[in-house]
Amino acid sequence: MTVSASFTSRLGDFALNVSIEAGDEVVVLYGLSGSGKTVTLRTIAGLARPSPGHIEIGGRTVFDSEQGIDLPPQQRRTGYVIQDSALFPHMDVSANVLIGVEGDPAALDRWRTLRELLSIEGLDGRRPHEISGGQQQRVALARALVRKTEVLLLDEPFSALDEALRQDLRAELLRLRREYGLPIIFVTHDLREAHLLADHIAVIDDGEVLQFGDRDDLFQRPASRRIAELMGVRNVFAGEVSDGRVAVDGLMLQAEIPAGLSGPVDVAIRAERCNLRRLDPDDDLPANNFAAIVEERLSFGNTHTLRLRPERVGPSVDVEVASRPYEVIGVAGRDRWVVELPAEDLHVMARQ
Amino acid sequence: MTRLRPLWVVAPGAFALFFVLPLAGLLLRALTDGDVAGEFRSSATLDALWLSVGTATFTLVLTLLFGTPLAYLLARSRSSAVRVGAALLDLPLVLPPAVAGIALLTMFGRRGYVGEPLDGAGIALSFTTAGVIVAQLFVAAPYYVRTAYAGFFAADPRFEGVAYTLGLSRWRTFRSVTLPLVWPALAGGALLCWARALGELGATLLFAGSLPGRTLTMPLAILAAFESPAGLAGAVSIAVVLVAVALVLLVVLHRITDSRGPYQ
Repeated sequence: MTVSASFTSRLGDFALNVSIEAGDEVVVLYGLSGSGKTVTLRTIAGLARPSPGHIEIGGRTVFDSEQGIDLPPQQRRTGYVIQDSALFPHMDVSANVLIGVEGDPAALDRWRTLRELLSIEGLDGRRPHEISGGQQQRVALARALVRKTEVLLLDEPFSALDEALRQDLRAELLRLRREYGLPIIFVTHDLREAHLLADHIAVIDDGEVLQFGDRDDLFQRPASRRIAELMGVRNVFAGEVSDGRVAVDGLMLQAEIPAGLSGPVDVAIRAERCNLRRLDPDDDLPANNFAAIVEERLSFGNTHTLRLRPERVGPSVDVEVASRPYEVIGVAGRDRWVVELPAEDLHVMARQ
Repeated sequence: MTRLRPLWVVAPGAFALFFVLPLAGLLLRALTDGDVAGEFRSSATLDALWLSVGTATFTLVLTLLFGTPLAYLLARSRSSAVRVGAALLDLPLVLPPAVAGIALLTMFGRRGYVGEPLDGAGIALSFTTAGVIVAQLFVAAPYYVRTAYAGFFAADPRFEGVAYTLGLSRWRTFRSVTLPLVWPALAGGALLCWARALGELGATLLFAGSLPGRTLTMPLAILAAFESPAGLAGAVSIAVVLVAVALVLLVVLHRITDSRGPYQ
């Protein structure tokens, strides 16, 4: 099954421009709060009407402004799950799940399977307030899947839960996806969640899809400085292409420069891709290496981030080191380092 | 804090007493000077009582039927014109009932803009039992619509959105999802509306008059008794009858509103 949506929407001063598609995979809509992710899901579900646009779900056109097609949400066969589950508080779990499909034996069968898959057996007669937040989200997922759903639309479904529960539920979602083979459009502003779940990511910012593509591609090769920043790249330097190299703050960097790119560029490298080397900072250093001094150390438990400023040439840079090497190399005990920006990890982008 | 404690007990206690004392006075006076049992047997009083209960209940039914969809539309609409409409609905709440009665007369009275053509067609509203209901509706329905509007406004519309994606029709969603969510507000509003209709005096007197058996409701009967030679003694007996019946009905209605009603 596939889903494709391409539309423009206007809400007061806010304009939303979206074009995405999903096969049997997870597409993550990633962006800051207020960027238009939720409106995108609501539009696909039929709860908000775009102006011009075309939306297809499972090969059926559910919205087309030119042909005058606008199927109501009841006929779109979407499974829509929102952050705080929206389980109906006055109904017990099984009434919540089976509302609208009462008397459908196939739905009852699916409910039995889902109860087992999602470990929510024995909750049938409980009201939403009598079960935990994690169980509520599982019930909401079951409710979305118990009917003939052709796409799952998940709007930050786990963000109200604590981290351990979120991890469990993410794993369960991936299992469900294998089991049901449905397109899933998942909205989140959590970068780690996006990375874990996504096959494809659409980065939405201020109503525009800035980049839509393969997850790894997006993480490693963001198309612009703004996307790089949104994708959590902490090192983005202004540079200048000359003689097949990129000059950044007086340092000539070897990097793969996309064909046709010249003049001012932006250079991005993820903090975890930068290396600290135990070379003598006063020696002649190899290409892409420069001497730097630690200005700040931030500990995140399983990783440490060092803020370094260059001694002579090169940019100020954040370097992320995992806890184990941090201790083994003795990073804490030394302030002068040689930083390496590996050529293969540098991503050169046109300046916008 | 310790020094404040007596004040915290005395102030609300005195306030509560303020409401209980007049009712106690009413009861005492009725028992000493009046004839409550006689009023319960008097056909004139019973006529007024049933007229009051009947018209107030009919007013409530009309209010529920028309006021509920109106409150829902007002709460869900984003149009600013509709917002202004919602504000206008509050007007009868602050209008003195006498002004409401006069306003009704100008429009629906026998010489009124709408009343005159209606009268020509053989439909009379003023000085009829229907007029009592019109007066009650005008004065009391806003209490329900206002409360129901607040209930619908506070109910998260995302519940409805999710229900639609689950395949539920608009009507089924309203019936099975929205209504149970706002039930306490609707029930509370209904209670206010019915109570206000039962006690309606000013607008009814001006628009419907006080014709025994047709428009003479209990509040009007109490007023008439008060102005008769029997004076206060006659008025308190009828008043106690109204209070007793209202109390019983209020207890019944409260039982419904305090629970989640049919959505237990």
